[in-house]
Amino acid sequence: MNPRHHLDEATVLSFAAGALSAEMAAVAATHMEVCQLCRERLSDAERIGGALLGQQQPAGADTARGARLREAMLDLLDEEPKIEVRQADAPVKPDNAADCLPRPLQPYFGRSWRALRWRWMAPGVHMIRAARGSGDTLILLKIAPGKSMPMHSHQGTELTQILQGAYDDALGHYAPGDVADLDNEIEHQPITAPGVPCVCVAALDAPLRFPGWLARKLQPLVGL
Amino acid sequence: MNTDHTHAKLSPFEVARAMSSSETQARDADYWSAQMAAVARQRDRDCFMRIYDHYAPRVRLYLKGMGSPEAVAEELAQEALLRLWQRASSYDPARSSLSTWLFRIARNLHIDRVRREPRWVPMDDEPGWPDRDDASESSSAESHAEHADLQNRIERLPAVQARLIRMSYFEAKSHQEIADELGMPLGTVKSSLRRAFLRLQLGVRGQA
Repeated sequence: MNPRHHLDEATVLSFAAGALSAEMAAVAATHMEVCQLCRERLSDAERIGGALLGQQQPAGADTARGARLREAMLDLLDEEPKIEVRQADAPVKPDNAADCLPRPLQPYFGRSWRALRWRWMAPGVHMIRAARGSGDTLILLKIAPGKSMPMHSHQGTELTQILQGAYDDALGHYAPGDVADLDNEIEHQPITAPGVPCVCVAALDAPLRFPGWLARKLQPLVGL
Repeated sequence: MNTDHTHAKLSPFEVARAMSSSETQARDADYWSAQMAAVARQRDRDCFMRIYDHYAPRVRLYLKGMGSPEAVAEELAQEALLRLWQRASSYDPARSSLSTWLFRIARNLHIDRVRREPRWVPMDDEPGWPDRDDASESSSAESHAEHADLQNRIERLPAVQARLIRMSYFEAKSHQEIADELGMPLGTVKSSLRRAFLRLQLGVRGQA
């Protein structure tokens, strides 16, 4: 997988800074899993974080408190270092691997593609919405092949990672591994490619805006 | 590395000051990496406590900025520093500066504990970058010169970009929160952060 559409550098920076919502971060991490370029940018952004941490100028410390913490640290050094067992993922059986959701999405949607319980939203459109967390919305969308979605724009940010299938819009062709990192200046009308359904995961920080009477009728149905 | 026009708006005195303070920081980076290497090799407690004395107040300050109450910031900073001691053997000074490793540890502790986001999949805070091919051009080694260049570029960011960088890294504000707080369009926040990142990335990558 060699993605051609990447995260905005501003999104990578906020991911490195710990400044994305958990939902946005889940989509960004799903992209990072398959994108070397964005992982390298993440490393760069973390080095910037390291340099900024080094530049911090602590004011005159509370010396009594500082001394107490220092003593506590010295005591901790005497303890046997506990052997850190990194929480290894349960081994995935080869025949199971194809059924495995990307790791960052598993806390929201479970591990198994087959076990997903899709909800019908509109002709050719199925959706699963993750339980609310931070206030942003995280959804899995499955759209039948060759289907035109209503033209819509965004009040905030929409981060969408393609997991299966593909779609086209004015910005280009989006295939598995590609991410669409959109803000409120973009209005688009995705059309799914023929063949297999397009499955994507999307994080939204504000409701979508559909122009047009049909889309306005659709909006309450879709519940976004 | 820095062409003349980048210094055009600074007086010779300002240039000298910016250069010398970033040079000091870069020497510091080498110094701290050497201290950590001694901890890794010999479990040297004196070296570790020098690292502790320098960085613990900085990590506490960082965590308070991210929204931790004083007591939580103290507890998490202790945990972050202790993790250096416990995982010292995995530290490779050729791959990561100490402050970058510590930043990753502290950020992850903040996300795990303060935000209490149970569904967050932990980000890796190991000191290396397994993705990078060390033999390639973009070696992940943080050389003295690269570090000096990055520090230099941070100090000379335009004021607005510097503010947005601080709000992202030290206050964990989202693009929308920054836009709301400063009354800036969301698109402007993103494009300013993008420009700041590209400017600093040149320092990270050691290119002019």
